[in-house]
Amino acid sequence: MSSLSGAIPFPATKDGTRGKTRVDHRNSDEAALVRRVQAQDEMAFREIVERYQSKVFSIIFGILRNRNDAEDIAQQVFAKIYFSIRNFDFRSSLLTWIYKITVNECYDYLRKKRVRKLVYESDFSAEDAQRMETSDPAIDPKTPVDVRLAQRDLIVKLLSKVSEQDRSLILLKEVNGHSVEELAAMTGLNENTIKVKLFRTRQKLLKAASRLTRIRSSGN
Amino acid sequence: MHRLVRDHLEDIVAGVEAAPVSEHLQACEECRNDVTAMRAHSAALRELRAPDDAEPRPGFYARVMERIEAQGPVSIWNLFIESAFGRRIAVASLALALLLGVYLISSERAADQPTVAGQQTHPAVVVGEDAPGRVIGQMDQSSMDKSSNDDVLVNLVTYQEQ
Repeated sequence: MSSLSGAIPFPATKDGTRGKTRVDHRNSDEAALVRRVQAQDEMAFREIVERYQSKVFSIIFGILRNRNDAEDIAQQVFAKIYFSIRNFDFRSSLLTWIYKITVNECYDYLRKKRVRKLVYESDFSAEDAQRMETSDPAIDPKTPVDVRLAQRDLIVKLLSKVSEQDRSLILLKEVNGHSVEELAAMTGLNENTIKVKLFRTRQKLLKAASRLTRIRSSGN
Repeated sequence: MHRLVRDHLEDIVAGVEAAPVSEHLQACEECRNDVTAMRAHSAALRELRAPDDAEPRPGFYARVMERIEAQGPVSIWNLFIESAFGRRIAVASLALALLLGVYLISSERAADQPTVAGQQTHPAVVVGEDAPGRVIGQMDQSSMDKSSNDDVLVNLVTYQEQ
């Protein structure tokens, strides 16, 4: 794959809004809520927990597939939010910021535990497997569940090779299904930058996968 | 990867291909391989979607507050202990402090060592009583012991212009 230098010019979007999207995250309801938490309003913090707990839990459970660990890490995520929300600078949406903390906590956990075979340590049930078979129409249903679990396991490992920001961005795109326009609005970056970042992250994942394949084949 | 594919990558990975892109992918093996691998990664990433009923157990907020109370405010030292970057900074700072210490000790030892007589001559200004400010000679450092040093200093301090 050819390497790139500098920013890649991407074509204009259909409605001619190339590189647009500047959302003011300082003057939203969310910002008002954050300011209340920054002023040590515990009810506002409770509102944040209740608003985002399902999302945070889903992100963690999606990566780890273990309910107890997901619960534990979700608690830790909200404790981190509580202690560091005074540093939230409104450059991105609150969800993007929380998402980044959540994914980082997952990878900290994986690094600390040195979890290698996630699938076999998870509490992935037959019901989950059944659900997995019918979950995503874009995924070939003929692919056996164990192969798909192995691919899932591999992608978690590959994601550890990219930066925190790139990791959060591609997860928001692929796992949460946000469009490039939505990502631009959430992060405060423009659409072209989002596309370039996604492209580079995909490239890095390819390189990491080929490196891993080389290591495995040289080990055999 | 060619520009045409790169420009439309997000659509291509999502399975939306314009006719020129499809034609290019059929003709270009490199782009086709990359796109195939990226689509596989995209599919694997979608496997990370949690089921819709993934929810924490009831009473989650109370447990979060318990944890917050148990942890208390984060100490500045935790940043060094818990983060990999912080640990690296701590190790680098210790190494730097060690190097500085070694340098200071070795330079002090070198300064304490006596100079071999006659090897080096340092200019030492001696002011004559009759002509202030006149340099009357240079003295060999080796011949200038501590007492003569003191004498010169006393002369300089007690000198009065006539």
